Amino acid sequence: MKNRRLSVLAALLIAAMVLAACPQPTPVVETVKETVVVTQVVTQTEEVVVTPTPVPPVQGGVWVEGSSADATILNPILASDSASFDVLGWFFPSLLGQDPFSGAIVPTEMAASWDVSEDGLVWTFHLQDGVMWSDGEQVNADDFKFTYDAIGSDLVETPRKANLDNIESIEVLDPLTIQVTYAEVKCDALNNLGLGWLPSHLYAEDFSDVMDSPLNEEPTVSAGPFIFNEWTRDDNSTVLRNDGYWKGAPNMDGWIYKIVPDPGARLAQLQTGELDLIGVQPEQLTTVQLDANLNLHKFKDDGYSYIGLNQANPANPQAGQDEDGNLVEQDPHPILSDLAVRQAIAHALDYDAIISKVYLGQGFQIASNVLPAVGWAHDPSLQPYAFDTELASQILDDAGWTDSDEDGVRECNGCATAEEGATLTIRLQTNAGNTTREDLGALVQDQLNGIGFDIQFEAIEFGTLVGELLGQTFDMVIIGWTGLGTDPNDDSFWHSKFDTPGSGFNFVSYQNPRIDELLEQAVSVPGCATEERATFYHEIQQIINNDIPYVFVTGSVGNTGYSKKFNGTNPGPWSFYHNVETWSLAQ
Amino acid sequence: MARYVIRRLLQAIPTLVGVSVIAFSLVYNSPGDPILIRTFDPNITQESREILRRQLGLDQHWALQYISWVTGITLRSGEVAEEFNRGDTSCTYLSWLNTTFCDNSGGILRGNLGTSIATNQPVWDRIVERMPATLQLGVTTLLVSLLVGVPLGVLSAVRQRSVFDASVRVLAVVGNALPSFWLGLMLILLFGVVLGWLPTGSMRTVSLTNEFDLVDRIRHLVLPTFVLAVGGIAILSRFMRTETLEVIRTDYIRMARAKGVAARRVWFVHALGNALIPLMTTLGPAIFGILSGAVIVETIFSWPGMGRMTFSAAVQRDYPTVLGAVMFFSLLTILGNLLSDILYGVVDPRVRLS
Repeated sequence: MKNRRLSVLAALLIAAMVLAACPQPTPVVETVKETVVVTQVVTQTEEVVVTPTPVPPVQGGVWVEGSSADATILNPILASDSASFDVLGWFFPSLLGQDPFSGAIVPTEMAASWDVSEDGLVWTFHLQDGVMWSDGEQVNADDFKFTYDAIGSDLVETPRKANLDNIESIEVLDPLTIQVTYAEVKCDALNNLGLGWLPSHLYAEDFSDVMDSPLNEEPTVSAGPFIFNEWTRDDNSTVLRNDGYWKGAPNMDGWIYKIVPDPGARLAQLQTGELDLIGVQPEQLTTVQLDANLNLHKFKDDGYSYIGLNQANPANPQAGQDEDGNLVEQDPHPILSDLAVRQAIAHALDYDAIISKVYLGQGFQIASNVLPAVGWAHDPSLQPYAFDTELASQILDDAGWTDSDEDGVRECNGCATAEEGATLTIRLQTNAGNTTREDLGALVQDQLNGIGFDIQFEAIEFGTLVGELLGQTFDMVIIGWTGLGTDPNDDSFWHSKFDTPGSGFNFVSYQNPRIDELLEQAVSVPGCATEERATFYHEIQQIINNDIPYVFVTGSVGNTGYSKKFNGTNPGPWSFYHNVETWSLAQ
Repeated sequence: MARYVIRRLLQAIPTLVGVSVIAFSLVYNSPGDPILIRTFDPNITQESREILRRQLGLDQHWALQYISWVTGITLRSGEVAEEFNRGDTSCTYLSWLNTTFCDNSGGILRGNLGTSIATNQPVWDRIVERMPATLQLGVTTLLVSLLVGVPLGVLSAVRQRSVFDASVRVLAVVGNALPSFWLGLMLILLFGVVLGWLPTGSMRTVSLTNEFDLVDRIRHLVLPTFVLAVGGIAILSRFMRTETLEVIRTDYIRMARAKGVAARRVWFVHALGNALIPLMTTLGPAIFGILSGAVIVETIFSWPGMGRMTFSAAVQRDYPTVLGAVMFFSLLTILGNLLSDILYGVVDPRVRLS
């Protein structure tokens, strides 16, 4: 119910913003809230918008976000952890905006519009005019070029080097026009242009001071809603309102990022009002829901948990392609290369019980690799595997896996992949210390053993597990992906060229020429229209769902608890703060 | 005396060398790869991973890394001087050994604890940054433990077998047994959330201006100090009770009483003075306790101190920070013990240092 209200509010808000077509939507937000209360039809909003209340929004107030980890470096091209981006995200302008609800790329940031050449290789971005750094310099195309040239420089050590892949040139046509030329069409490459821009006028032209500039600790200039104020490591960061913010100065005085390592203490501080926003753990949900001063924002996140099934023999890991790009036939896994076994596993798990008991209800079953959070590419018609132990047993019987000696474990009696008489014994691993995954492992072991598997489950140290994963020496692994982002391209999990033992992320050695082809086509649509790309992703999801390289356990659900102290909050799954400049203190 | 101190300091050198070898080999041979932990991300290529590993020297045998950590000199086979020559590092290639020597002007022998992998700050800076918070909490805790624990112990001995004595002894057992994370969370819940009397964590109320406010600081100190001090009070009260009971059975106390000295004077001047001497031996280790014992309390109360830093560095496999903290703690422990031995000699003329 609460969700529906929120989405109604969201829809109305967007409608109202469009209707108003006014760059300062602050009073609109207030009035829209009233229409939600009486749940009127949309025609009403038009009238309401024409008569906005002239009361100016309340100024002042501070928003305090609680976090478990502190930022490490406040430079948008050197940082790689989410805590750093939580703080530095306020200061640095970026080329492309992101719709907070759909995740689609939208012209709400520096790029006011763009044109694409017919072959889809040359992108011309027209920049927003009149955006100023807080020291009075204008934000322009040179800042963008400087930032990306810095990433490419040998003097700069950054994990972002891959953002330059496939970019042939970046040219500044005039201070407000940027032309990016790609070597080949790659639709998800657009996301690589989303990094924050450095203020080029404060750095040496040859990038020699990028690594150790004092700006990395104290980024004093800003072109965002807030200006850096102070950073006490491992304690807090504070930022102040930027009166010159081009979308309009925020009403609040500032924002604080406070480090509270203990989850219980974070919840306590949210309740006492010392914090205004925290990520809520599943076991804390009830407390937040029962507190009259708090809101809960629940959303489908861009991650999922899965059981990876190694299709190749762990005793003999091989690369998926040879040097010329031809497929290399894999030494098949004696058990898991059998599709029937994978189907039986997918049908044998009680997903509802897993989600309610292990994930405390904070999850939802998914059918394939593209999540509902990426709405345009997700195929909602695809059905997840149903829990059906009889069907699972039947599949195993039919495939020649039967329990002939009646010891409770099936053996190969005419199966397709293993030697005669081999038992259905498989190792299952996960990382120790992650109690959710350990619980899941125990449950999976129990449920699979119930239909005649012999699952040997162990939880091992994360670093060791990563070594086994990338080394492709595992059978089955429970792990998950987080932060998959707004683009559905996940070729690094499925494409045969990423099946490289020791480093590649197609560590399940999944091999399907049709998938390779589709993954390539889906990112090389000229113009990258989402409707055209979606057809490819729908087929990909269908095939992955049939082939079962992963057993998809649950999609991730995020929960954010926040105070009701400000009016105008309208969180979306991709951004909590997208309209922060319009928030105002509740009376 | 001076000779004693010098000898003790010289003895500390092999201890520190031993600590460094053991700590280093334990840390570097523990499972978990700091590079993989940081780069388990499909967007990061294997090449960038290898470059990172090479730049940090993590591709080398741990013995070579140990030499580099201690002396600041890195050995690499082949001519790679150019690859590693940069601002603070100078490399020379010796062709007859086919080895490149790089000197990064660091190494713990030159007082440089290295650079944190996680935050890219010098480790020493990180320690200095966290010291004030830990010291503030530690010194207050020590004072509270002494000011509460010592009188409780003495009074308990004076009123031996009374109700007061029994309750102090029960409380001492309970205080010793209570896990600090549980006590901390319960106190946060009671005084922070339910009653709303005290802040639930961190060193001060964070505001946009961050002005110094003594009352605010003290209010933030109350709960973590209490939780940390409970253990100290428990130990000190039991310690003082035993010591006092021992002292009052000695002849000179009986003598004083026989002379008719007032009971109060006997207890608090003659008995307490001598009972306090053994307390000196606990002060040295207490300094170490102050600096290191607060890991859990610092985490629960969001206290930005050294214990928390070391713990999170260990989880992140930030080797230089962990080792830097270990060496720093070791040095402090050695100095603390030395100090308490010297003090022992100062307060008790019967003890001779030689």
